[in-house]
Amino acid sequence: MKSRDYILPALVFVGMLVALYMIGFYAPVEREQGIVQKIFYFHVPCAWVSFMAFLVVFVFSIRYLISRDKRWDNRAAAAAEVGVLFCTLVLITGPIWAKPVWGIWWTWDARLTLTLVLWLIYVAYLLLRHYVTGDEKRATLSAILGIVGFIDVPLVYFAIRWWRTQHPQPVFGGGAGSGMDPRMAATLWVSLAAFTLMFAYFVRVRSRQLALEDEIEQAHQLADEASVSMRGDLR
Amino acid sequence: MLRTIVTILWKDLRIELRTRDALSASFVFCVLVLVIFNFTLDLNAEEARRLGGGFLWVSFAFGGILSLNRSFALEKADGCSKSLMLAPADRGAIYLGKFLANVIFMLVTQVLILPLFAIFFNVPILPAIPLLVLIFLLGSIGFSSVGTLFSAMAANTRMRELLLPLLLLPVSIPVLLAAVKTTQYALGVNEDASDWFKLLIVYDVVFVTASYLGFEYAMEE
Amino acid sequence: MTWMIAAYAIIWIAIFIYVFGLDRKQRALASELDQLKSKLKG
Repeated sequence: MKSRDYILPALVFVGMLVALYMIGFYAPVEREQGIVQKIFYFHVPCAWVSFMAFLVVFVFSIRYLISRDKRWDNRAAAAAEVGVLFCTLVLITGPIWAKPVWGIWWTWDARLTLTLVLWLIYVAYLLLRHYVTGDEKRATLSAILGIVGFIDVPLVYFAIRWWRTQHPQPVFGGGAGSGMDPRMAATLWVSLAAFTLMFAYFVRVRSRQLALEDEIEQAHQLADEASVSMRGDLR
Repeated sequence: MLRTIVTILWKDLRIELRTRDALSASFVFCVLVLVIFNFTLDLNAEEARRLGGGFLWVSFAFGGILSLNRSFALEKADGCSKSLMLAPADRGAIYLGKFLANVIFMLVTQVLILPLFAIFFNVPILPAIPLLVLIFLLGSIGFSSVGTLFSAMAANTRMRELLLPLLLLPVSIPVLLAAVKTTQYALGVNEDASDWFKLLIVYDVVFVTASYLGFEYAMEE
Repeated sequence: MTWMIAAYAIIWIAIFIYVFGLDRKQRALASELDQLKSKLKG
């Protein structure tokens, strides 16, 4: 790695430390929910990162289809993986937050349901990649799904929102909405920044790893061809 | 281009008329789903009217997946897909032909199921029939639009029958939801479904376009 | 309080698992690269 490659992980490390400090000592304890509310400072950034990841998959899918440069496919795949990781964390931390505060594990409220549907779409993206054989076909088909899936997102959002407004539900994270203490807002922004940096770092590492896999694969093929032609000469 | 569309459409329809595989499979499957719902839920007529939209579209979705699966399985089986790709036809036209065939298959199944639904669950449907058929058409268009695209994509993989529902069901949630809500409205349950009708139409337009454009990439070799 | 610790714990554990997974993959790729180099020399 070049020396400037260390900047991003260093920022992630520092950012996370600062965020943790602020969450633990700077942000006030919420009046109604108590200390459990502090899950919010990780739960929301995880959701933010996963939505961003899927936007990134969309953009990189388009760039792949236009340029046919495998690197864009690698980056899209990396972003989807990281997106599913954080989406899973949203779906896990959501209920963990909900149970002590509202007494229920799950509610079909708009946000949680949308997250679940997104999770399903992008897990399907990963499964598609797993089951398609052939690098170029895999890249092309994934790109189509990356684009179609993202186009679906606003439609899913409206569908679920209209569906939910017909049944009043406990509003998740409602207490954190309006009238937030400025210290809480600041903590949230710092945590968001730290998680965004972490997302960028993971995508970078993973996409480089995928590119390395490609190179090794190519080298294997070259080595095989070389040994075949060498044997041919000896004969 | 119109000729290609009609040719493909006619080909799929004729195969189906001869064998009636997809239609009979999806029809029987839809009946089974409705029957199982009845056994597991044991509802009176009023509840059935309220929930009927949901039952109908669950059965239509799974039956639709069955017939969509066959749409490209046929091609792959006899090696037709390669000849299809070699043919000097606009890929988009191939998509439209297959898509229209799938819409027709779904619609036929739905129209056949509707009277059975009314009988099994004692739900009065007579005044609503034209509206219901319209909703079935719009819903089938939406479902088949992405379904045809994903079917072509899944046909490329080892696990095509499994992959199609995995890809299609999450993405089709908006159209299924809208179809259920509008069906409920037609059966007299919802008061105002204008938003849901708009969603149906928007979904149809967006995804027929997107699938038409994306199909070219899905059919590459 | 335990809930909060559980949530944070899960997040960190998941992140660490992912990072360790990346690291393991990287090592595997590096050894494959070494094998390849010796194959080419030999």
